[in-house]
Amino acid sequence: MRYEIRVDGEMSDELTTAFPELKTFVVPSQTVLYGPVDDEAHLYGLLVRFQSLGLRVAEFRRLPE
Amino acid sequence: MVYRSGSREGRDGRDGRSVGAGVTPGGDPVLAARLTVPSVPGTFVRRERLVEQLDEGAGRPLTLVDGPAGAGKTLLVADWVTARAPGAVAWLTVEPQDSAPGVFWSYVLHALRHHGIALPEHIRGPARPGEVDHSLLARLAAWLNERDSRVILVLDEFDRVAESAAVADELQFVLRHAGDGLRLVVISRTEPLLPLYRYRAAGELVDIRADDLAFRAEETAALVDRHGLPLSAEAARALTERTEGWAAGLRLCALAAQRADDPESFLDDFEAGHSTVADFLLGEVLRAQPAETQDLLLRTSILERTHPDLTNALTGRDDAEPVLETLQRANAFVEPLGHSWYRLHSLFAEILRVRLRVRHPGLEPELHRRAAEWLSRAGLLDEALRHAADAGDWELAATELVGQLAIGRLLTGLAAERLDALFAGMAPEASGPAPDLVRAARELAHHDVDRGVTYLRRAEENLPDLGADSTDDAAATRLSCAVLRVLAARVVGSADLAETAARDAAEAEQALPADRLERSPELTALMLTDLGSAQLWAGRFDAARGTLSAAVDAAAEGLSTAFPRHEAPGRVAKVPPAGRRLARTLAAPDESPRTSSTRASARHAESTLPHARTTSRGGTPMTPPGPPSGRTTGLSQHALGRLALIDFLHGRPGQAEAHARGAVAEAERSGLPVAYRTGMPQLVLAAVAVDRDDLTAAQDHLDEAAATSAASRDPLMAVELAILRSRMLVARGDPRAALSALDDMTRQPLGSAEPSPWVSDRIAMATAAAHLADGDPKAAVKVFEEQPLHSPESRAAEARARVAAGDGERALRILDALPESRDQGPAVDVWLLLTRAQVLEARGDSPAAEGLVLRALAAARPHQLRRPFLEAGPWLGRLLRRPALAREHTWLTGTLAPHRAQPPPPEPLSAREQDVLERLAQLMSTEEIAADLHLSVNTVKTHLKSIYRKLAATRRGEAVRHARDLGLL
Repeated sequence: MRYEIRVDGEMSDELTTAFPELKTFVVPSQTVLYGPVDDEAHLYGLLVRFQSLGLRVAEFRRLPE
Repeated sequence: MVYRSGSREGRDGRDGRSVGAGVTPGGDPVLAARLTVPSVPGTFVRRERLVEQLDEGAGRPLTLVDGPAGAGKTLLVADWVTARAPGAVAWLTVEPQDSAPGVFWSYVLHALRHHGIALPEHIRGPARPGEVDHSLLARLAAWLNERDSRVILVLDEFDRVAESAAVADELQFVLRHAGDGLRLVVISRTEPLLPLYRYRAAGELVDIRADDLAFRAEETAALVDRHGLPLSAEAARALTERTEGWAAGLRLCALAAQRADDPESFLDDFEAGHSTVADFLLGEVLRAQPAETQDLLLRTSILERTHPDLTNALTGRDDAEPVLETLQRANAFVEPLGHSWYRLHSLFAEILRVRLRVRHPGLEPELHRRAAEWLSRAGLLDEALRHAADAGDWELAATELVGQLAIGRLLTGLAAERLDALFAGMAPEASGPAPDLVRAARELAHHDVDRGVTYLRRAEENLPDLGADSTDDAAATRLSCAVLRVLAARVVGSADLAETAARDAAEAEQALPADRLERSPELTALMLTDLGSAQLWAGRFDAARGTLSAAVDAAAEGLSTAFPRHEAPGRVAKVPPAGRRLARTLAAPDESPRTSSTRASARHAESTLPHARTTSRGGTPMTPPGPPSGRTTGLSQHALGRLALIDFLHGRPGQAEAHARGAVAEAERSGLPVAYRTGMPQLVLAAVAVDRDDLTAAQDHLDEAAATSAASRDPLMAVELAILRSRMLVARGDPRAALSALDDMTRQPLGSAEPSPWVSDRIAMATAAAHLADGDPKAAVKVFEEQPLHSPESRAAEARARVAAGDGERALRILDALPESRDQGPAVDVWLLLTRAQVLEARGDSPAAEGLVLRALAAARPHQLRRPFLEAGPWLGRLLRRPALAREHTWLTGTLAPHRAQPPPPEPLSAREQDVLERLAQLMSTEEIAADLHLSVNTVKTHLKSIYRKLAATRRGEAVRHARDLGLL
């Protein structure tokens, strides 16, 4: 499964290291993270990680294979 | 409308005082922090609209405050609790390990107690981490419901146990049944698994969500104003928009602006920027701090809570105290918890940890290791172990566990499952005696004796010596090893090995300071219970009685330290640790059990043993660890159950019952699920009930005993259960079934247990009794010819078999050879007297026999021991039917006369009748039975008539009852 997650705001390079398994790029006012998500546990784990870092998830979608 | 916080002065929380706390925090700063209502900083802005919502919530069962991290949930509720004092409030900050229901509820109970809500004695902390007996929750709910005033229970950070459906279900159950007695306030980042729609539909829920928590423009202005930055309405609106009213963002923004050269242009720049709010602002605030402060914050981010000494251990400097104080005064990052402890804001800590990894790669494990060492020295073992595991330093983790005499916590108590899971991650490379002892304990806890013993042997090969210059840790390692050896010896049934290991343990204990032993009451209680069980199995009854009584004492001491009523510091426990008694127990096995159990109950009643105190480097008093609920909770049931069995075996039904009921009560108070109870007390109660011919009660107790896991694991339980079943079958007039039950049992291997001399005696006695009841005295005699006997009870049973087989002379010789005065109770006396009477009666000496029967009756009467008379045989019936005797002993003759003197076996039921009877017992109607069996209604009625006749019944209920009594159902 591959996912793309958009969070509000431009994340600093330092902060993106909290998601070493995902690639990132910045668009105006948003940061896009994308990459493989192993399973459901990983998915929920990601959500918790975003939340605990005070990041707002604006969009969360599965990429077509 | 925004008000200034009215209670700013004097409650900046530096003294960590909690609202409504009747007792000082448990000395354990970590625990205290979880139970204390967080202090509200001076910059907090009270928002009346939210306070009103909370007030409204206090009138309904459930209030939910949910929003993202940093939304200001905790402070909102803390301020409400502090300022509005809405009644008795118990605060609990939930932690991830609380998702085990037993742990969760033990903390809830502890929170109630901590906040001055006195729980009654019958509601005690759960003893198993994974499960709580439902009846404990029912008792709690009922008790809350009956109180005059309500309790508000605040569960902060509930999201940490959000995935536990069991905790949510149980919470829902208690909330439902506590009526107006309980108001629940749940603070969470995610919605709890409670049926919120139902509460919402019934108007029983007040929901304060992210949108409500978000600051509005005028509230933003008030908040920034608190930081000395007046803001125009327009600027406030823009800032609110940029941060979406997010409290943490606003707070950081105000702090950063405060430190900026030109606050106004800083705010303008921030508003125009597009960075993520928290990360960016945190960076700004951090940059304004001195380098030392930045370093300190990065390093302490691995901790949930910190202390100046601990912080210094992580930074390698000595400036933590002033730096933390400065940070706290500035309301930046850290919040005081009292007793010099601080909490880092979890959101900030999370972001700081990310920075730590980027800026100091590889430093994290080293920091965890240093934290583990410091925490362990401070006696905070649980936290220390978590950090040692995070550091990947398993030798350190195992060494600390063993060194703190905490190996028993892998085997009993609330921490068992958590510690087991923690050490499941232990690297195979970790070597040395401590890691091997941990491995051995885990295997033994999982009932894998062979693997446990293998690790134990490896640990023994590397044990440190107990020389003159040996350390406490060496003694602790030897003690832990000895305790595990006692456990292994118990499982294989070797009292010799157990006693040898126990002596080693006693020797190691001598080398340890008393206060260290006192902190681990469960270790001593465990070892004594195992030792006593091994001694019992080997038939060393006096020694077993002494050891098990000491185990009960030790467990009681553990309980009293688990619920300390903290007194003025400096008072030191005067009672010697239970373990010190071990040497005495081993040396003098005849210590009167009565004295020691009286001592235990007296001490239990006092329950005021203060914790031993250690002093940290900074002079801060700290108390050693201990989860809120006793590590020995529920432990004494094992020792009490075995004491009950010893009493029963020695013919003392009264004492046996008292011990058994004590064990049952202990298990119930501790909320132990039935499967985790020992089953032994129920078994003893059943055995006593059989002696009294109360077969219904006996069956109930027997079923309870059989439902426990001990029924299959404990060889003693397995044997006694089979014996009891056979006695029940004999009592119901089916000796053949009794014999085959015994036969089945002897065919099964009893684990790896060494044979027990008296257990084989007991099997022989039960077998012979079944043959006698079957009218085959020759077979009964044969049993004893094949089986060398040990106990006087079984010799008496042999005498009975001999006289029944017509060899009165031999029987008399056996009886005469029995020692004159022995330590035997009334139940044994009754059997001996009746057997002798039977011999005399058979020789034609009726007057002498009658005298003995009268003595037997007098001995049996106080305990209503009917069974010996019912099984004595027809000769006794003639005597007992004499009017004078019958009048005086109605307790016996009442049951004896009508249907028991010569119980006629009922005419057997046909297979069809049995089918009908079974359906009758399920309360099916005649028509339903007919349909179910594909018979006509008339045929069923015919079967019913026949069943009534055979069972001597006139109604359905009576038929079913008689069938149950006869064992047909």
